Amino acid sequence: MRTDTATAANWLSLGPRIRTSAPFLVLIGLVALIGILKPGFVSIDTLLVVMADTATLFILAAGVTFVVMLGGIDLSIQAVASLSSVIIAVTLNRAGYWAFPAALLAGLAIGCFSGIVHVWLRIPSFIVTLATSGLAAAAALVMSQGRSITIGDTGRSFLSWIIGRFFGVPNVIIVAAAVGGIGILAQCYTAFGRYSTAIGAGEAATWASGVKVNNQKVIAYALSAMLAALAGILLAGRLSSGSPTLANELLLPAIAAVVVGGTAITGGAGGIGRTAIGALIISVVRVGMTFIGVNIFAQQIVFGAVLIMAVAATIDRTKVLIVK
Amino acid sequence: MLSIGQVSKAFAGVQALDDVSMEIGENEVVGLVGENGAGKSTLMRILAGVYTPDRGSLRLDGQPVILRKPSDANAAGIGIVFQEQSLLPNLTVAENIYLGQEAEFVRLGIIDRRRLNDAARRQLAKVQIDIEPRTRTSELNFAARQMVELAKALALEERTDRHLLILLDEPTSVLEQRDIDILFARIRTLKRRASFLFVSHRLDEVLAMSDRVYIMKDARVVAEMPTGNATVPQLHQLMVGRDRHAEYYRESRQKPPSPKIVMQASGLTVSGVYKGVDFTLRQGEVLGIAGVIGSGREGLTRTLFGFLPQTHGTLQVNGQSVRLTSPSQAADLGIGYLPRERRVEGLVQPLSVAVNVTLASLATAKVAGLINPLRERKLARRWIEKLRIRAPNVDTLCLNLSGGNQQKVVLSKWMNARSRILIFDHPTRGLDVGAKEEVYELIRDLSESGIAIVLTADTLEETIGLSHSILVMRDGQVTARFEAPPGTKPSQVQLIRHMV
Repeated sequence: MRTDTATAANWLSLGPRIRTSAPFLVLIGLVALIGILKPGFVSIDTLLVVMADTATLFILAAGVTFVVMLGGIDLSIQAVASLSSVIIAVTLNRAGYWAFPAALLAGLAIGCFSGIVHVWLRIPSFIVTLATSGLAAAAALVMSQGRSITIGDTGRSFLSWIIGRFFGVPNVIIVAAAVGGIGILAQCYTAFGRYSTAIGAGEAATWASGVKVNNQKVIAYALSAMLAALAGILLAGRLSSGSPTLANELLLPAIAAVVVGGTAITGGAGGIGRTAIGALIISVVRVGMTFIGVNIFAQQIVFGAVLIMAVAATIDRTKVLIVK
Repeated sequence: MLSIGQVSKAFAGVQALDDVSMEIGENEVVGLVGENGAGKSTLMRILAGVYTPDRGSLRLDGQPVILRKPSDANAAGIGIVFQEQSLLPNLTVAENIYLGQEAEFVRLGIIDRRRLNDAARRQLAKVQIDIEPRTRTSELNFAARQMVELAKALALEERTDRHLLILLDEPTSVLEQRDIDILFARIRTLKRRASFLFVSHRLDEVLAMSDRVYIMKDARVVAEMPTGNATVPQLHQLMVGRDRHAEYYRESRQKPPSPKIVMQASGLTVSGVYKGVDFTLRQGEVLGIAGVIGSGREGLTRTLFGFLPQTHGTLQVNGQSVRLTSPSQAADLGIGYLPRERRVEGLVQPLSVAVNVTLASLATAKVAGLINPLRERKLARRWIEKLRIRAPNVDTLCLNLSGGNQQKVVLSKWMNARSRILIFDHPTRGLDVGAKEEVYELIRDLSESGIAIVLTADTLEETIGLSHSILVMRDGQVTARFEAPPGTKPSQVQLIRHMV
């Protein structure tokens, strides 16, 4: 019965082997394509610019990856990132470097809250994080009184670690690389990473193996929101301002990056390394669209379409009997 | 009226029905009995259009019919009253009776609720029950819902010109005696309108209700007789069939357990599931629990691994009083669980053998706080060798393994976690004969190494063959206890007497 219902849509799914290497091939293909059309693109300088632009998107997406791996979703990331930028803009003058841990802790607290509500009250993650997204957005509006706040010269002196370069490499790339490295380490070599994968691939069996499933989930949501806060800090630094809508329009590309990279939206397969590829694909597509002359306001259409195609290609329909 | 001709059905190589033929006449009540796993449910599902047979044919009034989906069965005049009820609790009684058939009440795109309720009232009258059709189904008790199911099945009458056949799957297993009497009285009246196929574990009921009875064993029909001259012991004997082979279950390897008690229950109770269970489990002992579905043995098994904490009574593990509220707590106490739903609760199927082996004891794969893939693979390789798991390598995904090898991976998971008490919940379900024997061999190995086992097996034969002692349950209570040393094991008939 199961196979009967699944076959109708299976032509969209690719075989597992192609599925693993496809995102990387797509990335190379896209870079080559733009390189041919516009030879200046494939230079170290341009590529560094693209990577620097990708850094915040990647950090947001890396956070969500932890949640998607165990089969959930975090819709609060853009609100948390915006809130974090507001916290930085409001407190940087007075608190100096302390503003950064404060913003990260706010993210951590929001993530723990989402996670705990999700597992205790057994509410679907997309509802819980949609609700916390509202809380975070409201907090940002209240703190900023609904305005965009420019960071003054005093504050700007604390932002050099974000704007600066290290041997010519923008620091944001280094931060993103560190996040990616630690993330991969956490997913491949720690109990948390292993249990997340197992929960995504088979929650009942993982629970019945004595794994404290709820704890792992709370950790994942905490990490997701904390990385969203980090992304907000980087955004605030690069734009020298904080605003309650600063990270709007980033939720869709971030989730698209996760899925385009090859992490299954149902969980259990994928990882942060793949999300890095996915985020780069999204960035290159964005650059490519600007290059072709797609209206900047219409770009979300492309991300939406890419998201649906990527999910269609990666989902294992034999496992999903009923889609809600 | 309905004739089932040489129907066979296999699942993943395991024969669930083997060349089964049956006849059901008009206005006849036919009983169907057999042990768990004999093939009754599969046959019911084929008649209900849930499964299609691999071979064989169904004929209605001489015409061949093919039932590909439940609505085909309805069109053929076959209605089902399932053991696990199929009514939707959030709909009204009338909405449930006509679920999927609303079209006949639609006027101008809107359901005419008054006509719907009136029609439902007529169906309810057939089973002589006084329920307001507008009642929300969740407000009814179990017995009333059962009657609604029956009324729903009878509503088919008006949609088909065929004679009705109603399948009753364990309709009495959770009913009180008073409600059973009412149900039977209704069926006797309804016999004028329909034929019934009646599946039950309660043999006395089957004999009282049916005109004829079929007895199934190991996927085959082994006997058919009119109920007039049949007796309960006779049915027992037929259900059980051939005698046990002592060596099939490695009985010569059954050694007396050590006197050390590792688990002890007294007055263990889960309200509404089972009550007052006492037992002791010693090092190296296999404690079998026998009972039909609904006897409470499933619940008891789930309590021992923290899925279903007791509401009363005490459970001691290694002398320490505990109330297990989660599997992780049970696992920490050295208890392991081999579930009946191996693919759902036993293994994370899309992941590798190595990952599954260390899932309950990840610390064993760590070096300096991080998972060390080399160490993990070495551990997995050791278990593959030790339990002779046939997997190409440690990276093989568990979903690519056969049932027997999957079961061994589940076992290695708990052995790697050094569990000293193992709960075996239907360990040989879905395995072929060879794989079953390997499991028996492993159970003896475990027992010899001092591991204590609580066993709920697929068949009585298995329970008797493997166990040191046996607890028999019925209707949520322990009804008998047997010692089962090699040579003087109790017979199946002795056990079954306390089960049904």
